[in-house]
Amino acid sequence: MSQPIAIVARPTARASRGLWRDAFRRLMRNGPALVGAVCIVIFVAAAILAPVIAPYDPTIGVLADGKQGPSLAHLMGTDLLGRDEFTRVLYGARISLTVGVIAVVIGLAFGCVIGAIAGGAGGKVDAVLMRVTDVLLAIPGILLAIGIVAWLGHGQVQIMLAVGISYAPIFARLLRGTLLSLREADFATAARAEGATPARILMRHLMPNALTPLIVQATLALATAIIDVAGLGFLGLGPGDPRVAEWGEMLTDSARFLQSAPYLIFFPGAAIVLSAIGFNLLGDGLREAIDPRLKR
Amino acid sequence: MLLSVRDLIVRFRTHDGTVYAVNGVSFDLEEGETLGLVGESGSGKSVTNLAVMRLLPQPAGHIENGEVLFNAEDLTKLPEASMRELRGRDIAMIFQDPMTSLNPVLTIEEQMVETIQAHRRVSSADARARAIELLGMVGIAEPAGRLRNYPHQFSGGMRQRVMIAMALALEPQLLIADEPTTALDVTIQAQVLELLQRLTKERGTAVILITHDLGVVAGMTGRINVMYAGFIVEAATTVELFAKPRHPYTVGLLHSIPRVDAGPEEALIPIEGVPPDLRVAPVGCPFAPRCAWRLDRCWTENPSLGPLEPGITVRTSGPEATHRVACWNPPTAEEAAAGAPQRPGFVAAEPPEEARRSGTDPDGKRLAASPEPGRGR
Repeated sequence: MSQPIAIVARPTARASRGLWRDAFRRLMRNGPALVGAVCIVIFVAAAILAPVIAPYDPTIGVLADGKQGPSLAHLMGTDLLGRDEFTRVLYGARISLTVGVIAVVIGLAFGCVIGAIAGGAGGKVDAVLMRVTDVLLAIPGILLAIGIVAWLGHGQVQIMLAVGISYAPIFARLLRGTLLSLREADFATAARAEGATPARILMRHLMPNALTPLIVQATLALATAIIDVAGLGFLGLGPGDPRVAEWGEMLTDSARFLQSAPYLIFFPGAAIVLSAIGFNLLGDGLREAIDPRLKR
Repeated sequence: MLLSVRDLIVRFRTHDGTVYAVNGVSFDLEEGETLGLVGESGSGKSVTNLAVMRLLPQPAGHIENGEVLFNAEDLTKLPEASMRELRGRDIAMIFQDPMTSLNPVLTIEEQMVETIQAHRRVSSADARARAIELLGMVGIAEPAGRLRNYPHQFSGGMRQRVMIAMALALEPQLLIADEPTTALDVTIQAQVLELLQRLTKERGTAVILITHDLGVVAGMTGRINVMYAGFIVEAATTVELFAKPRHPYTVGLLHSIPRVDAGPEEALIPIEGVPPDLRVAPVGCPFAPRCAWRLDRCWTENPSLGPLEPGITVRTSGPEATHRVACWNPPTAEEAAAGAPQRPGFVAAEPPEEARRSGTDPDGKRLAASPEPGRGR
């Protein structure tokens, strides 16, 4: 005897409520992306609340307390100068996140302008701009950034510019490629058939459709930006002020004590890795959440 | 005369060479008239109309020759800015795939208001009111609420209704519908065609309906131009064309459609072979390789479109339009009904040596891979 099959009235798939709400719902169901988002929220909170939650002053240390291992008084130990490592990691989040975000924004700004001109104008303008970006892309990003810092000198603004400019070609190429494919899309032809001007087609019809890959790419770029900023710091091209707590410089400072105080290298290293992974997971999740709309 | 296309030649310059997409097409259209352009993919029907709109894919597409007179003004010589004003206002277009011809990131309201405001100086509120009126007109329930929806929240048929509403928003004199129902379910097709027909008739809008489906044009248009490989091969009123097809290609098309009233022993007669490679400059009649009625001269001389009886006055438009055909050896009425030559001892002419070498073998099979030119519709 076969069991009677209970036919349960299942709620039909909820009507979609808009692109972004759909994307947000998919993102909320994506475990890894949520983990990434939580990582980022923790780091952003640490950066904002550093002065409130940090137990010590990041610049003042007691020399006698130098190089202590983790304890209740100093959760992550103290550095050579007796400064609290936990406090400095918290303050380091400020530098890394602000420098990383502003660098990516600079990269987006330059990249979008170049990409929009190239993709919008096409022809010779496109060819010239893309050859220039090809040349820049051929140089490894960190090398380009080192060159720019060497040229502009030390300082946070210089780091932001350096990392930002080294990312601009990536965004420019991405936007240009998206615009070129969108230009052939039916809705672009339809807009032309309705008498829309080329500028209007570019700004109103093509750009909004090209934004989603840019947002995804920017989120992923934040991950590498944090690593690049730390990398520059590690290579001695950081903010140039020893009082400033910067994860990369903290690594350099403690590399000499790898044997005697490994925790000094562990915590800033873990901070770099976790924040980079956070942005990476979120970026991947965003890509998955946003892309399906094109397939539906 | 609303639209008069004269000797239009369109070519695409591609990496593979020149594509001879439209090879000297002429046709006329009066105010309020409906014309069907019928042909298979790559016959040049879409390209002809993109050329009229000056929307050929750039930089490959070129109007090499010809005039497009719209209200006696040659559109091929119009500055781009004037052409832009004319698009959407005087000539509107509906595309094949309603899934992709609406911008996915803008609401229907944004897209409709934009179209209206591109041509009329009206406030957003007025444009919105007009958009609601238009949506209601095309049979969309709750138009005010639906205006705020995104395209993906509409079904295919509904989207095509939105496209029709947008196309008619500015009361254009001419509407070009490029395969407007091909992407829709059969049941929805009839609804959309009926809507299109009713709205354009009410407004006196002239319509060019592009399709590969003779069934679609049968009830929709007053006249039909049959296109093949960038040529118009037969032009007649719809009634005349269905009753007395005189070009072998038209005969073939009509015999490849299943008919409800056909007896069980009446087989479909497919047109053998494939369309010619449009990258090869046309020599002779383009249909010759697939034609059962071909003569020797068909391989070398391309017949021009002309009346069946020489010497009569030719009317190129209107309900009294002359039946014209481009064929050296038109099928007789009996042959058209049978779908094959009936003359005793008649054998289709073998191709001359040059034709063999040009890449097309006698069976019409292309020897080289050829691209789908144009937009491949």
